[in-house]
Amino acid sequence: MTKASAQLVVDKAKVSFSGFVAVSDLTLRVAQGELRCLIGPNGAGKTTALDLICGKTRLAAGEVYFQDKPIHRLSEHAIARTGIGRKFQVPSVFRDLSVRDNLQIGRSASPGVLSNLFRFRQSRDKADIERLAELVGLEDELGTPAAHLSHGQTQWLEIALILAQNPLLILMDEPTAGMTQQETKKTADLFCRLRGKHTLIVVEHDMGFVRDIAQTISVMHQGKLLAEGTISEIESNQAVRDAYLGSGGIGHA
Amino acid sequence: MSGKTKTEIVICAAVCLAILLVPVFMNDSFLLNKYARYLVLGMLAIALSLSWGYAGILNLGQATTFGLGSYCMAMALKLKTIPIHTGPDGLPDFMVWNNVPELPWFWKPFYSTTFGVTAGIVIPLLFAALLGWFMFRGRVTGVYAAITTLAAMVVVQLVIIDQQAYTGGFNGITDLAQFDVAGFAFDAYGSASYYLVAICLTASLFLALAVTKSKAGLIVQAIRDQEDRVRFFGYDVALYKIFIFSVSGAIAGLAGMLYTIVMEFASPTFMGVPLSLSVVIWVAVGGRQSLVGAMLGALIVAGMQGALSESETFLDSWTLVMGLLFVLVVLFLPKGIAGAVETITARFERRDPAPAQQPQRTDAAGAGTHHLESLP
Repeated sequence: MTKASAQLVVDKAKVSFSGFVAVSDLTLRVAQGELRCLIGPNGAGKTTALDLICGKTRLAAGEVYFQDKPIHRLSEHAIARTGIGRKFQVPSVFRDLSVRDNLQIGRSASPGVLSNLFRFRQSRDKADIERLAELVGLEDELGTPAAHLSHGQTQWLEIALILAQNPLLILMDEPTAGMTQQETKKTADLFCRLRGKHTLIVVEHDMGFVRDIAQTISVMHQGKLLAEGTISEIESNQAVRDAYLGSGGIGHA
Repeated sequence: MSGKTKTEIVICAAVCLAILLVPVFMNDSFLLNKYARYLVLGMLAIALSLSWGYAGILNLGQATTFGLGSYCMAMALKLKTIPIHTGPDGLPDFMVWNNVPELPWFWKPFYSTTFGVTAGIVIPLLFAALLGWFMFRGRVTGVYAAITTLAAMVVVQLVIIDQQAYTGGFNGITDLAQFDVAGFAFDAYGSASYYLVAICLTASLFLALAVTKSKAGLIVQAIRDQEDRVRFFGYDVALYKIFIFSVSGAIAGLAGMLYTIVMEFASPTFMGVPLSLSVVIWVAVGGRQSLVGAMLGALIVAGMQGALSESETFLDSWTLVMGLLFVLVVLFLPKGIAGAVETITARFERRDPAPAQQPQRTDAAGAGTHHLESLP
């Protein structure tokens, strides 16, 4: 198959956890600069799909190509170095470190031990870090330990960490979970701005949010890709309606 | 440089200066030797603070690298005694008693003191790097890493005890020459040895401080917090852990060499379980996330151990007293003395009615929206 058109190609991927098949025969093609939403009922394998791209879980079969290079056998840090960043469902920041130090960790353009041994904190990153903190409304909390932030602020901090990392492809797992409506709106604005410069894959339950940001939506069900298309195509798709039956329909998932 | 970093540097400098000034006010050679011994143990505590406090690797075998450094120095100093003990073509005395026909190959380079001193840092460093490579590449963490370090230490100690003909076995390597540099001999009971130890302590403390203040040190702390998250930023977690573990091993090796100079022998007990566990207690009492705190913890607790075990009242019960102290610290000062001091000063600062102290908690969403324009 030709991979030239797509930046990320997941080809017939299969993941199983000691016999339980979480993802099977999943094929995804995401073009550079695209914002792709990944939706599906609980247990559909959305998070696992992100995990297999960033190397958190290993493939039982299939392949993952990023920028035409196979990445599914690389270790996690090597995958990250090819330009893939990941935001986790449960916000994972470094709770004992200050917001400033967190952002400093996020700036991982040169990840080697030696290059970081002779770099001290007051160096040129300072302005960038302050700009990022301002962008996510944490400019007054730079010295605060991340453990003292509210849930919404922690979500924003992790988004800022990803922006500091500045990867080509950003994998977002439920970025608006626990956010107020206003915060969700702001996140949608941010994502629309990121589109084009970065490739984004966003797993989301909030259909209002998906409507705000999505170009193409991929629907997963029971570890398989069920449908792919624009929001109106997806909403009128009978198979998708059936998959969501019993969970209150797609709008309330 | 942040204000906190400046304070830390000032505190470290003040403590080191005070340590360096001790011989000016005191001329008791027996006490100087004893204090030099405590300072060496302080260096060992700095080494453990680096790996345990900053990287979260509880090294229950910190004494392995300490002992290896100690033996390297002892081998170099032992070879110098050959002409006096067994004649110019002789062997170290314990080898003669064990009927060893000629000097084993791995002893030969130690004729050079320079080699001995270098080996005393490089061998512990390589040992730590190798052990770290196995552990951290295999993602052994937490209590399993602690057990591995402990087991590795017991193995090394058993090998050294077992190979009596080459290592002096249980007796260790005794009856050494004095360490000398370009004709200047360091008498274990003289102030020169004390200064040597104090300067090495200062250098180790500031080296460790620089490592923790670098971005690499920051990444190591992030690994302690959440190892799995760090990987997804592209950092090679295992490499960072191996690095900090090796630096810790090198400092412990240097401390071990100085211990041989101060004690005038090397013994398998220098890499024993009791010493290793004592270091953990010192560091826990002093505060594992503070290098200077851990060092002072070693001075205080080791000093108390010395004082209690020599006093008539506590002659039989001093280990109990030490155990009680440890339990109390773990229960009431989980971050050790340094952590308690930090909490108290933070409380004072908060009571201070400085205007900047109450950060305005702005709502993330409200504050952020108008900043969105500044996105690249």
